[in-house]
Amino acid sequence: MAALAGFGRYAGPATLILSSLADGPKHGYALTKDVEGFAGIRLAPGTLYEALARLESQGLIEALEAEDRRRPYRLTAPGATALRAHLDAQRRVTDVGLRRLAVNWATVNWNNV
Amino acid sequence: MSRPADDPAVPVARLLRWYPRTWRDRYGAEFAELLLSDLEERPRSAARTLDVMRGGVLARFSSAGLCGFPLRSGGATQGADAADSHVTASLISLGCCAAVFLSFGAAMWSQLTIAWQWSGTAGATSVTDVATIATTAAMPVLLVLAILAALPVLFTVAKSLVSRHAKGLRLPSAVLAAAATIVVVGGRHFENGWPGTGGHGGLIPGGLAAFEWATSLSVSSYWGHPGVLASFPAAEVAWMAVSPFALAAAVISAAIVVRRTELSRRILLFETRLAVAACAVMVVFLAGCCCWVATEGQTVFGQPSLFHAGFIDVAGMATLTLALAVAQQAARTARRGLRLARS
Repeated sequence: MAALAGFGRYAGPATLILSSLADGPKHGYALTKDVEGFAGIRLAPGTLYEALARLESQGLIEALEAEDRRRPYRLTAPGATALRAHLDAQRRVTDVGLRRLAVNWATVNWNNV
Repeated sequence: MSRPADDPAVPVARLLRWYPRTWRDRYGAEFAELLLSDLEERPRSAARTLDVMRGGVLARFSSAGLCGFPLRSGGATQGADAADSHVTASLISLGCCAAVFLSFGAAMWSQLTIAWQWSGTAGATSVTDVATIATTAAMPVLLVLAILAALPVLFTVAKSLVSRHAKGLRLPSAVLAAAATIVVVGGRHFENGWPGTGGHGGLIPGGLAAFEWATSLSVSSYWGHPGVLASFPAAEVAWMAVSPFALAAAVISAAIVVRRTELSRRILLFETRLAVAACAVMVVFLAGCCCWVATEGQTVFGQPSLFHAGFIDVAGMATLTLALAVAQQAARTARRGLRLARS
């Protein structure tokens, strides 16, 4: 959590990128397609590389040898730790929110809202 | 041979130009590949263009040490060294802002001191007294801080020049020396025409005020009144035209010298502490100017007084405010960079 806390508004793209790289190294375009596939969000090129540069500067990901002109990135051990901490914190928030909704808003018919 | 109009490399190259060279050296090739793939899917996208423009501008601010983080590798260095380079960039930006602040501040301060000398207390208010005293106290402190900041850099540069490890330092050092000489010699020559009297009860350092008046003669509303300007001695008008270029050459060459000099972590820490102190003093100076412009913007008894603040003063104050805001942002980034370098 601490490692991603300083990302501010880039924490969202950073979490998506780290989650994608948890599945293995990927280059920019593959990252975009993977994130679009599992999160339904298309990371714009400028936003993607801003987050990649930040993650790389903090040692949470590292660049591999370029293939043609595409350079894959992979998750580092500190990156995996930061992602786990961040997702754990998000899960706690999600659990609390869902539990409170279940208790206090159980009678609402969500299809009619 | 020119590229065809529908060649996707053309818009990609155009978009890449938003980013600074250091960023392009590191990420340019792979970013271009991503843009090409994106262009294949979405040939036209205003959102993509805006996103790249925003990213490029932020990367430029980051490269100037005004925000962001140090870039890894790409001709630069790794880890702590990259952080040091980022701190150096912040300090260079701060130095440039301080130079702009001093130039415009000198013009405003010398005007205040002249008016104070000539009017005594007639037509002036206690607010103007406070403004004059605040700016008079702040200006020498700023100059002392500037000298303290320059000393370790000059020492490091001199050591590099002596030990012949001064790759790329000789030319900017020579330009800096020449430009500084022009400013000092010209300032010393034209300070003889200072309309002040040499000291209001000993409060105003007359010599310093005269020199700053002479070096900031170009910050003048007379440029908008060619008729009046024509009545000035030709040498003075020439100095008014030349001095800003000499000052700009001195600042730019100093920035190049600092960028090409490897400053130690201790010096960076020292410079950052001075920068924070300088920002605090600039706030005092600006507060004094604000008091004056806000309260003396009107005329006294229907007649413009010597303290009358004109358009040039409002413009000068806006410049001072902008320079201070950027300097403070650079100081914040430098402090954060140092923490990062030490961690």
